[in-house]
Amino acid sequence: MASPFNAQTQQAGLNIVVLDPAHGGTDPGARGTGGIRESEIVLDFAIQVRRALELQGFQVVQTRQGNENPSFDDRSATANAQRGAVFVTLHISSTGLPGTVRVYVNSDLPPVADSNGLIPWDRAQAPFLGLSRKFGDLVQGFLTPRFKGSPDAAQSASVRQLRTTAAPAIAIEMSSVTVEDRADLDRMAPGVADAIARGAAAFKPSYVVAKTPGALP
Amino acid sequence: MTSRWKFRLIGGLVIAVLAAAIYFPILRRRVKRAAKLQQQSEEQARRELTQPIVINPGDPRVKTKVFWASDTIDSTLVPVTVELPLSNDPVLRSKQVLNTLLAGPVDAELRTLPPDALLLAFYLLPDGTAIADFSEALATSIPSGIVSEQLAVNSITRTLEANVPQVQRLKILIHGQEVETLAGHLDLTGTFVVNSNPAQPPAADKAPAPGPGTLTPDKAPGKLAQPERKP
Repeated sequence: MASPFNAQTQQAGLNIVVLDPAHGGTDPGARGTGGIRESEIVLDFAIQVRRALELQGFQVVQTRQGNENPSFDDRSATANAQRGAVFVTLHISSTGLPGTVRVYVNSDLPPVADSNGLIPWDRAQAPFLGLSRKFGDLVQGFLTPRFKGSPDAAQSASVRQLRTTAAPAIAIEMSSVTVEDRADLDRMAPGVADAIARGAAAFKPSYVVAKTPGALP
Repeated sequence: MTSRWKFRLIGGLVIAVLAAAIYFPILRRRVKRAAKLQQQSEEQARRELTQPIVINPGDPRVKTKVFWASDTIDSTLVPVTVELPLSNDPVLRSKQVLNTLLAGPVDAELRTLPPDALLLAFYLLPDGTAIADFSEALATSIPSGIVSEQLAVNSITRTLEANVPQVQRLKILIHGQEVETLAGHLDLTGTFVVNSNPAQPPAADKAPAPGPGTLTPDKAPGKLAQPERKP
């Protein structure tokens, strides 16, 4: 999708949240026995998350608006074209304690050799791992009191979507598509949306934005 | 046509119908038997190809730690100690422990890997990089999600970490191919750190103690060009 972002007029500091409803198109993601499809629910969740973020004064860019399936790289490219952005990818698991939410940051990546000032695409997340951890812990901190049984801090995992994203980036996974009634998941949406918005607002002061898109933080 | 020829024709048809009625059930039995034999031989060939591991009763019985899902704490692994005759050869030993992991715990609910997944091949390079090639079922039958995919990979790496110290890094292939993700989430393009300490041959009567639940980063360069990541 087209981004409203203009590098010439962009203000310094965090002001954009790139929201990524995972899967879509021919990839439904996790599927529950009751016909629940991860790709559909995360798209619905994104609407509420977007609204909560806009209330906090953030611009929101979505990697998909409908039932299409951009590649991992296309989704990362949407985020990497922004300046002053964070990236949040939304997922629903097919296992885990129903009603819990986990925040993930990418596992350790080899440090980027900054010989030419460019970040290798396949390790674009490497320079942002510390910021991602901070952002992830903040969001998880707002989620855990609402969703009992969720972890106290963000977890590390080799999430493919995060690796090529040159921005503070987190994955949020709600449990799970195994619930009998989709309404059980829908009821989680306002709390998840509020926690993401509050987490982004709390993270904002600590994010110093580089001068050029995709540059090292 | 004369009545004589008519009689001959009808007689011939009757004989043909009778012959068919007798032969058809025999033919059907033969087809069924052939299909069954083919199925058995395919299954046998598959087992021969994928599980060429001979348990040598002479191998020392070792307390082996296999990591399956916890029944008390959600989405975590716990070591289960089983006594197995394990080879001292790291490749054979790796195959033995991974096949035990794939076979699953007594409680099927605590499995971390799909029951129909197979270990097709296992290689160990001189620099400590291991390559485990699993059948497609590992990717297609596993529940999709970050938490379930991470639990699966962690159960593999931690089981190897606890029992085969020569394995320092692990590359996972699916049916001989590198794939981008396990089931849409977990990145399989790189290698996973297994043991960061220099390899020491395992004691014959005691398996090495597993780490405290976290895998440590590895700085040693591997032959594979992909970046190394912790699962």
